[in-house]
Amino acid sequence: MTETDQARYLYLIANTEEERSLGDIGLGDRPVYTIVFQDIAAVVHASKPEPEPAKSEEQAKQWILNHNYVIDRATENFNTVLPFSFGCLARGDDEAIKRWLQKNYGLYKRELERLKNSAEYSIQIFYDPKILEKQIIETIPELKEIDQKIEIMPKGKAYIFKKKFELGLKQAVSDHLASMGREFGKLIKENSIQTIIEEKIPYVPEKYAGKKVMVSFSCLVAQENVDRLGQSLEKINKREEFAVRFTGPWAPFNFVDLKGNIEDET
Amino acid sequence: MPIEIDEKNLKKGLLGLVVALVEIITELLEKQALLRIENESLSDEEIERLGEALADLSEALETIKADNNIEDTVESVRCGLDEVVDDVVDKLMNPARWAKEVEKHDRNRPGEISLLDS
Repeated sequence: MTETDQARYLYLIANTEEERSLGDIGLGDRPVYTIVFQDIAAVVHASKPEPEPAKSEEQAKQWILNHNYVIDRATENFNTVLPFSFGCLARGDDEAIKRWLQKNYGLYKRELERLKNSAEYSIQIFYDPKILEKQIIETIPELKEIDQKIEIMPKGKAYIFKKKFELGLKQAVSDHLASMGREFGKLIKENSIQTIIEEKIPYVPEKYAGKKVMVSFSCLVAQENVDRLGQSLEKINKREEFAVRFTGPWAPFNFVDLKGNIEDET
Repeated sequence: MPIEIDEKNLKKGLLGLVVALVEIITELLEKQALLRIENESLSDEEIERLGEALADLSEALETIKADNNIEDTVESVRCGLDEVVDDVVDKLMNPARWAKEVEKHDRNRPGEISLLDS
């Protein structure tokens, strides 16, 4: 057994009975193939048993892209997949992987069936604070009145009332966003199988500069509901004060549940 | 092992912390002043005096921040304090959320499966 035969880099588990190659699309252009047990398969490339560190940041980025590319290609080929995070290495040869699939067959098969014909989507809703504040001031006469009177007040009084105005506006914006958040959340939930509120947003494109994040969801959406969800989000996106970033389909990274304990958080 | 301290950074950090705390106290004073105005327990003249004092304090803090180039430090101290307070309040109000967080860490994600024990 050569050194490269001693471990397998894992990309995902898929619903397939077919032993096949997916081409040289793995990390560092390594050949990617399926290891089948009954009707499920692990998608892997043969690797050395020790993790191989990237030689540069550029190479690390390329490997992450390769990893995701394999998951995308496999999703196209096999429909539903259980994706692995970047960097999962299993010591052992194809037979060892088969034994591992055999041992966990029921668990993986159940998840593959549960996630069938669905995919993960990411939804971020942004708001433009300037536009929203302007709209809110128009709807609250007390704030509008303070705003107008500040200009003619003496320095000390103007300072205090400016603070009153700012606090009142901040509270009104927060109440409005909470109410809109509930409304949008309901709308998204109606079209999703599961939703998770994301607390951290890793990347916001330049297009949304100057806007603030209102809420961010990861959603598991059935194929037949994607268009309807998209149309609902488009209605929100058309509102002057809001913008929606709707991306996907992705492999269901956030919704694979191997213990049966994912709960809907919305 | 001796600890190396960059005096400039230490001064910036300490001053940033002090200014952040004074800012927070000022905001509390402002809220207190507003409550008293709403309760009508301050005369027009008192409102004006209090307002001027708070405005001067706020102006002085802005000048200190700009002169010492500590705007970012103050902002970062305040964000840090906000997060700590939010976290504590959140856990006190929603103990269930705390439990969920622990559970989430324990969840067996596909990338964390103990792979081959054979």
